Amino acid sequence: MDNFLQAIDTLTIKFTLAAVLLPLLAFIINLAIPGKNNKITGWISTGAILASTVLSVFVFSRVWNSHQVHQLVTWFTIGDTKVYAGVLLNNLSVLMLLLVNLIALPVHIYSTAYMNNDKGYNRYFAFLSLFCFSMLALAVADNLVLFYIFWELVGFSSYLLIGFWFTRDKAVQANKKAFIMNRIGDIGLLTAILIIYATFHTFDINILFGPNSIIKSISFFNKGEWFTPLTGYFTIPGVSYHLDAIWQYVAFGGIFLAVAAKSAQFPLHTWLPDAMEGPTSVSALIHAATMVAAGVFLLGRVYPMFNNTELTILAIIGCFTAFMAATIALTQNDLKRILAYSTISQLGYMIMAMGIGAYSSSLFHLVTHAFFKCLLFLVAGIVIHQMAHVRDDNKLNIDPQSILNMGGLRKKMPLTFITALIGGLALIGLPFTSGYLSKDGILIQAFQWSEGKSFVYMLIPVFALLTTWLTAFYVTRLIVKVFFGDLRLLKTYPSAKLHITDGGWQYSVPLVILAAGSLFPFFALNPVAYEHSWLFKAFSTGSSPATERVFHIVVPVGVNILSVLVIYGAYVIYAGKKLNPFSPAGALWRLSFNEWYFDRFYNKYIIKPLMALCRGVFRFDRRVIDTFIHSIAYAGMALAKLAAWTDQYIIDGFLYLVTDIVKAIGNFARRFQGGKVQYYLYSMLVVILVIFLLKTLI
Amino acid sequence: MNILTLLIFTPILFALIIALLPSAWRSSFKFVTLLATLIQLGMSIWIYYNFKTGVSFAGINHESQFQFLQKLPWINLDLGALGKMQIDYFVGIDGLSITLLVMTSFVLVIAALASWEIKSNLKGFFVLFLILDMAVIGVFCSLDFFLFYIFYELMLLPLYFLIGMWGGARREYAAIKFFLYTLFGSVFMLLVMIGLYLSVTDPATGNHTFNIIQMMNPANYQPDSVFSVLSHQTIFGMPARTIGFVILFIAFAIKVPVVPLHTWLPDAHVEAPTPVSIILAGILLKVGGYGIIRICVGIFPEIAHADAYWLGLLGVISIIYGALNALAQQDLKRLIAYSSVSHMGFVLLGIASLTTEGLSGAVMQMVSHGFLSTMLFFLAGVVYNRVHDRGITHFRGLATIMPKYTAFVVVAFFASLGLPGFSAFIGEAFSLTGAFKSASVNGVLPYWMAVCGAFGILLGAAYFLWTLQRMFFGPVNLKGGSVWKTALTDLNFREKITLLPLALLVLVLGLMPSLVFDKINDSVVTFIQFLRLK
Repeated sequence: MDNFLQAIDTLTIKFTLAAVLLPLLAFIINLAIPGKNNKITGWISTGAILASTVLSVFVFSRVWNSHQVHQLVTWFTIGDTKVYAGVLLNNLSVLMLLLVNLIALPVHIYSTAYMNNDKGYNRYFAFLSLFCFSMLALAVADNLVLFYIFWELVGFSSYLLIGFWFTRDKAVQANKKAFIMNRIGDIGLLTAILIIYATFHTFDINILFGPNSIIKSISFFNKGEWFTPLTGYFTIPGVSYHLDAIWQYVAFGGIFLAVAAKSAQFPLHTWLPDAMEGPTSVSALIHAATMVAAGVFLLGRVYPMFNNTELTILAIIGCFTAFMAATIALTQNDLKRILAYSTISQLGYMIMAMGIGAYSSSLFHLVTHAFFKCLLFLVAGIVIHQMAHVRDDNKLNIDPQSILNMGGLRKKMPLTFITALIGGLALIGLPFTSGYLSKDGILIQAFQWSEGKSFVYMLIPVFALLTTWLTAFYVTRLIVKVFFGDLRLLKTYPSAKLHITDGGWQYSVPLVILAAGSLFPFFALNPVAYEHSWLFKAFSTGSSPATERVFHIVVPVGVNILSVLVIYGAYVIYAGKKLNPFSPAGALWRLSFNEWYFDRFYNKYIIKPLMALCRGVFRFDRRVIDTFIHSIAYAGMALAKLAAWTDQYIIDGFLYLVTDIVKAIGNFARRFQGGKVQYYLYSMLVVILVIFLLKTLI
Repeated sequence: MNILTLLIFTPILFALIIALLPSAWRSSFKFVTLLATLIQLGMSIWIYYNFKTGVSFAGINHESQFQFLQKLPWINLDLGALGKMQIDYFVGIDGLSITLLVMTSFVLVIAALASWEIKSNLKGFFVLFLILDMAVIGVFCSLDFFLFYIFYELMLLPLYFLIGMWGGARREYAAIKFFLYTLFGSVFMLLVMIGLYLSVTDPATGNHTFNIIQMMNPANYQPDSVFSVLSHQTIFGMPARTIGFVILFIAFAIKVPVVPLHTWLPDAHVEAPTPVSIILAGILLKVGGYGIIRICVGIFPEIAHADAYWLGLLGVISIIYGALNALAQQDLKRLIAYSSVSHMGFVLLGIASLTTEGLSGAVMQMVSHGFLSTMLFFLAGVVYNRVHDRGITHFRGLATIMPKYTAFVVVAFFASLGLPGFSAFIGEAFSLTGAFKSASVNGVLPYWMAVCGAFGILLGAAYFLWTLQRMFFGPVNLKGGSVWKTALTDLNFREKITLLPLALLVLVLGLMPSLVFDKINDSVVTFIQFLRLK
């Protein structure tokens, strides 16, 4: 029996590997296919992801709510440490595996039409497959090294796709920004991994954070030190090993940075709105549904290592981000930017949910959000494409992404409108949608969490509530401006000819699939009780306290009544065009419109000083170090000159002096040998005289 | 005949051939050189495959465990009362040298292929190139300090001429700066070498010896000699062994280069022709790292242990300082040069950690940087050869006119900035792992050093991506206008077959680091154990 089970598990692992590697294969094949716009590449990538989806459905059915499957092989040995590579399948990873595939498949189909006329068709599908491979591998990676590798690869493929249209300045600035911001998160994650490895001497996610998490069960704090009394995992046996407790917080900080970067949380969220420079299908897959959720996924993976303080920090940051992004979305005019901020806001909910201990609700929201946000982006892509066609056909000078030019598209693109409506309602979280189920859970548990704590903690659920209404408002504004009223474009260009349609089946099929996934039956038979959802139950750990009952009725009813009022209000404002409650001159309006001035702040206080520092360092290199080297060289030269001078005037001078003296003596003595006898006689006389003189004197 | 000896002296044979060939055949010189380097590469690969691993082949401080040994008496003088002078021709390799040796042979092939751009005085260039080739291979194989020193100095001479004669506008300044910098280091190294010689005796013969392996054993030092471990001699009131270590370290640190001894590097790189830049960055810098491991740390282990903090600090400073400087550059080659300073900082940090992870990471980083800097300088040479300009701001949108070139640039840049899947990631990650682990294993480096080192990875992404954005992406806009646009053709066949193996190698090493680690593990573990005994 055991053998049989093992055989099945091995099969599951093989299927998983195939599901992960097929997109990689598609990437490699697509790179090798010549040409730039070869339609076969699209079908190779789509075929790969389709096969991968089928396989992951099987894997999901094997593992979900069943036992965990974990297999690993030695990857390499460094010194005496083995580094493994393996696959870890549990509820979380198979859910992610399936989700990524389920979102990626419609996006692939959609892309075959959306990118049809693009010059970089081959490249697009190659990159898209690379992304899918990285994301799927991230979901099943069993140790922190592998996790980090795919974590970065996901960022890299996102970089390639954001800058897909690399001749656009904005796009390449955006992808640089995205990668560098993500790099901040990466070094955070790397630091955290280093700390964990130095403490526990293993990278294995299952050992560290699995059911018998050693971080949870064995390490403990005592008097500001972090103890890990392990003997098996460390190099010096028998020694109780401890670290300053601060390093546990540093590890948390690193993981937080990683999460904030990937999931676009304050303070690292500013790359995501700019990332909308990529093709809209990419925004739908990567920057709405999957990659940005990787931060939440990471939190889900390492959840056992956080203590209450750290969780509260997460809750505060998540709540703040949700609120801040929602306020920004209120005033933006770029269709994709509004959706980007709503993504940030929703991700904020998920992080907040993790922080308040609503682990299962957070993951639940991750899944539901993936569907409806991907749907909304695909809708946006169709709308933008149609607007771009209008622009190109009539040679207009308009921004196809600006909602100020849109309006009245409801009649021209009915299917798109209906699916957009479903997506929008799910985003607001009205009943009968999937968004209602998951968001409801988060809100209720937020109230439950703050109960019994000090008043300040109440701010979190309150702001989460406020954000819900803000969401209702900006979603209504978006839908009304795009689909209701009249096409505003015609006011400026009355003669423009329009051929606006829903598009072919490659557009409508993905929309319908995703719209279906945004409704309640997919997740729970009971449309109003999130606890009954199969997804929630799988991650939920215990029974709910009695107080939840009260919140369970009060919160959703209150939220939704007000939401409906807000929607109605927004509809009146924007469809009626009668009154504009927001003065563009107001300080709050400007704060929102300028995205809370984050970019300006970072430019002024981080990038500029950093560049100044770089130039300063380079000047130091040139002026100080090189000057020092040069002065040594000059000193050497001066010494050499001194030596040369000494040589010439002192040493040689002495020699010259000697020769001069010899010469003078010689010249003097030479005269005595002139050849004249008289001189000889005189000199003899002088000599004799001198001798006599000396003799008498001495 | 010993394979290492063959490997070392093959280039000299070919240099002789080139010297004897008439100048009319000058167009064949590059092929002769390429042939020489290819033969060497073949031999290196043979050595790599036949290199045995296992605890009994660890090498380090056991002469018998070295492989492909050859020991011939070379200079034997009877000095009467002073004993016998014993200098051996002594070559052999262990895990620390094998991967660097293979990497060196490979880089030399690439450098030979890059020499196609040399147009003047070909005979001189290729003869010097091959002499340099011999010297660098010799350095990695020598186990006799005297022999090591000869090869080490022999590298300088051809390089001086190669930069000074075939370089750019300020070539003479760069050449003399490079020469003096390195000479400064090696002159003092000579003193320490003689001091060591006078302190160490060969236990078998009782003579003084230059044998590096015997210098690693404290028992071989004469009891009251200057560098004796036990006698604690002092020079100018400072411990003699500390002084010896510091002097050797400075000599090698200039080569690495470690901030603040690095300013020869940007000038030398900017002025040197592409093949010389490749050899400089790909191989010469590794000689520094190798020397620090084998000679500084190997001969003075207890000093290395005591001063590891300062080595680590210098490593971190190099990482950050080099990266900040790279961000400020406007010249592509200078940017790559400063990035080398930053990347080699990881090597020093890894060595300073004195852990298996750190040391393995350092060796991996050296191998990886050997390939990557080769690739980067070759790529910089591609643009320079076409339009004789390297200003980053003088180009825009190269991706549109040179797509294949840009693809290789993207690979090289991302591999260099430590994208997982490429070799640099493994090198950097494990250097940092070692640095972080050090506090708990041997306590030589504080935790914050690894964290600061990780910051260098962030800056690395910044300068490479900024360069990509400025030079390669965006609309086409060239300083030289349409003249440049026609001159900037995409890669030709020779360039493609040069770059493709490099790109594949860094990828393969990133996916299968065991190709390096399997060969070095035993030696690294033995080396760390050897250090721990101190």
